[in-house]
Amino acid sequence: MKRHNLLALAWGVVVAILLAHGVSLWLNQRIAPDTDILTLLPTQERDPAVQQAFAHMADAAQQKLIVLVGASDWEQARRAADAYRAVLSPHADLLQFADKLGEQTQQDWLALFQRHRLALMTAEDETALRTQDRQYWVDAALSKLYSPFAGPKIGAWQDDPFGLFGGWVQARAQETPVRPRDGRLFVADGERTYVVMPMILRVPAFSMDAQETVMPLLAKARQAASSAVANAEVLEAGMILHAAAAGKQASGEVSTIGIGSLLGIVLLIWFSFRSLKPFAYIALLLGVGFLGALTLCLLLFDRVHLLTLVFGATLIGVAQDYGIYFLCHRLGAGAATTSPQLLRHLLPSLLLTLLAAAIGYTGLALTPFPGLRQMAVFSVAGLVFAWLTVVCWYPAMIGPMTLKNARQAQAFSAVLKHWPVLRADRRSALALLAVAVLLGFGWSRLGVNDDIRSLQNPPKQLVAEQLKLGKLLDAPTPVQFYLVRGASADQVLQREEALKRRLDPLIAQRTISGYQAISNWVPSAQAQSGRHKLVKEKLMGDGAALPVLASRIGEDADWVHAMRERAATVPSLTVDEFMKAPASEPWRHLWLGRLDDDYASVVAVRGLSLAKLPALQQAAIGIDGVQWVDKVADISSLLGRYRQYMGWALLFSYAAVFCLLFLRYRAATWRVLAPTALASGVTLALLGIAGQQLQLFHVLALMLLLGIGVDYGVFFQERPDRREASAWMAVSLSAASTLLSFGLLGLSKTPALQAFGLTMLLGTALVWLIVPCFAHEHAAVAQAVRMEEVCE
Amino acid sequence: MKRLFVSFCFALAMAPSHAAVPVGKIQALLAKPEILCGRFDQTKHLAGMKKPLLSSGRFCVAAGRGVLWRTLQPFPSTLRLSRDEILQMHGDRVAVRVDARQEPTVRLINNMLFSLLAGDLAQLEKLFEGEGSVQDKQWSVALKARDPGLAKVIAGVSLEGGAFVRQITLHEANGDRTSISFSAMQTGEAAIAPEEAAQF
Repeated sequence: MKRHNLLALAWGVVVAILLAHGVSLWLNQRIAPDTDILTLLPTQERDPAVQQAFAHMADAAQQKLIVLVGASDWEQARRAADAYRAVLSPHADLLQFADKLGEQTQQDWLALFQRHRLALMTAEDETALRTQDRQYWVDAALSKLYSPFAGPKIGAWQDDPFGLFGGWVQARAQETPVRPRDGRLFVADGERTYVVMPMILRVPAFSMDAQETVMPLLAKARQAASSAVANAEVLEAGMILHAAAAGKQASGEVSTIGIGSLLGIVLLIWFSFRSLKPFAYIALLLGVGFLGALTLCLLLFDRVHLLTLVFGATLIGVAQDYGIYFLCHRLGAGAATTSPQLLRHLLPSLLLTLLAAAIGYTGLALTPFPGLRQMAVFSVAGLVFAWLTVVCWYPAMIGPMTLKNARQAQAFSAVLKHWPVLRADRRSALALLAVAVLLGFGWSRLGVNDDIRSLQNPPKQLVAEQLKLGKLLDAPTPVQFYLVRGASADQVLQREEALKRRLDPLIAQRTISGYQAISNWVPSAQAQSGRHKLVKEKLMGDGAALPVLASRIGEDADWVHAMRERAATVPSLTVDEFMKAPASEPWRHLWLGRLDDDYASVVAVRGLSLAKLPALQQAAIGIDGVQWVDKVADISSLLGRYRQYMGWALLFSYAAVFCLLFLRYRAATWRVLAPTALASGVTLALLGIAGQQLQLFHVLALMLLLGIGVDYGVFFQERPDRREASAWMAVSLSAASTLLSFGLLGLSKTPALQAFGLTMLLGTALVWLIVPCFAHEHAAVAQAVRMEEVCE
Repeated sequence: MKRLFVSFCFALAMAPSHAAVPVGKIQALLAKPEILCGRFDQTKHLAGMKKPLLSSGRFCVAAGRGVLWRTLQPFPSTLRLSRDEILQMHGDRVAVRVDARQEPTVRLINNMLFSLLAGDLAQLEKLFEGEGSVQDKQWSVALKARDPGLAKVIAGVSLEGGAFVRQITLHEANGDRTSISFSAMQTGEAAIAPEEAAQF
């Protein structure tokens, strides 16, 4: 048996094993790709407490779904909400309503705080206790006493004669504009009245199965609300909506890009070879490449992200180069050369292109982004498997007579004879000058944007609804907050209080609308005892407000004594007690409790706008144990760091590839790399002129462009003879199909992929146009001649 | 004053009405003027206090605009309820100001108090149920809160009147009781003093 047949057989065994493994995986596990974009982001080697706080806040938000059903009046809103609810109620296993308003809970709620009422007062009242005179408090008590409609109150008048506790409860109630009404929750703006329906998702928000069952139900519920009340407005917000939208978009794009690339390649091959046989060969190499990539990825990572598959669809653009290169040369080589002979000639350049592409993709693996690492493994594995398929199978399958040359292809090849060549003349100098001007102008206009939000592009409707809902509910964001740490639970509370004193002026200036903190409910022991003392001194003591009040309403010393007794028996409130009570349920996510040696809590900010972030960051400075955490800014700055980092890695890759190529091309090495480098530079300039802002994904695309561009450089440098057009045809064919696949990626609605696709589109087109200009006719003629000798 | 909102915040309930109270007849007797002003005398019995608290002053109810409640004795204080705001003045000093943006239940509370003073039983029936009688152009009703949560705070409300509401008595669950009687009622633009009109 000949050596190449043996090789083909061995590769056949490997592919058969892969296939069997793939089929068993598919049948047994029904692997569904990951859609959570957050898994693409790095797990950082950072403060574990910050990490935990964020996870805590994100977890609290992740399984929540909140729906507002509004209409012009309460009756209609209720009717629409009932219709909405009726659709979802039978599916309690998926979604559970979390708006039970037991009156018992309300009573328990108040009872806990009433027991500790003396230390519970607003900061304004505490200040007033320090600054206002006795008369102020006597007047306040009298006014409350005589006020006609102050009738219904919390507990007895004697328990709160000066209205301190009542003011505190009122302030707590104002931490949310949502109010119970008619056994439901309601909120209103100037135009509409809404029924608020918080829900808990009982299935994972990021599971595609869950999304596929929940989303249609929500749509049906929305429809039901609209049919019940014509002008009903439904506002929905929740992680699952974003996850479902992102998943739907990505899977739609996988098929668009995949099918688009496939069709493009079929057409191109038909045009070049007048036969679809070559297509079968290329499909075979892509199939093996894809299968190998998927299998290896699953072995290494257990799961595959949907974006890896989207990205993997672009693999077609690179892997097919090897097949096309072989096929074009098979066509050009003539009947005298056997395929194993041909492969031996092509092997050095094929190996070079594989290594150069692998260097480009390996750059991705150097990032700490798990998603990018997965894409790198997927791509390199796919390329290696596809490459081995060409090397092992093509010589055995494709004989000298398998392919016929098409006349169109010959006519197309003739174009090359008229292509401009870079020489030491005036025309070239002028062209270079023009390029230099273009580069200078374009680069000067190129801005930078590393905002994490540019990674995602949620549907506008979804964002608009969420904004409106956030405004109506005055909800805090789960990604920006203060982390407060201390050696004891009470120290955490004290530090929260110090922070809040800094935040109060910001509320007065309307920078923020408020904050949520455990210390709003449980003041620190220090604050509690301070207030007890203050109440005793300023209100209850001899010569304080109480005795004066007694004389004004005709009560005697016994009454004063009884009032003091009532107040003296009020105990302090502790965090533990609060956390056990049902009243703390909506606030428990703020308390992180014990973390290693520390205690920690979160102070969430309401009514935040992006422009105000620096002021909030400033507020934390100088308070021990208080830290401003801004996940959005953190990740954005991380993206920025890696954009710069990848920029350097790109330069390093150029150097590495140059060294690799130098082994073969020596003095002509620059001719192989210059087209790619120049194309990359011009691409950046064009992006600048088009008003694009540079982000990580542009740089990543340039990394891949290096892999593809080097292919073309190598192909041309191997066959610079313009009378012999196999290299030109191979480069044109693969460039055209790469353009098709990446061009479609440029149509992606996901901004990151779009940036990537656009860069590849411009870059590949430019390399293709430039590469013949740099191919030197003389440098490698000797080699070409030598090769012809071998062929004969 | 603040406590008022709080309790309503926790216990606002509306249920379908059924007419044990002769709402129609009473509505027919009520005069429903655009502006109604007069004198009030209020007696408050608080649990744990020996003497009742007496106060008196002037009030004005202007349809569509709100309520002005001016206590003159034993000390001056003013309460003004408008559609979107509750304002309590202690002399010249603003003691409490709550607006609807800040506290969404302000509109509901003001509606209810307006209904109470205007004797608008159709509105009150959404919150309360009870019985009533009409005799010789005079009527009286005794109301109980429909919502168990509200009932835990307000044990009952009784109203008496003829062409106008003459007496309101509020019984609280904790034993406190407030009675307000109205007299010297005047209607029309002339009824309202210029300084009162300026307050709306």
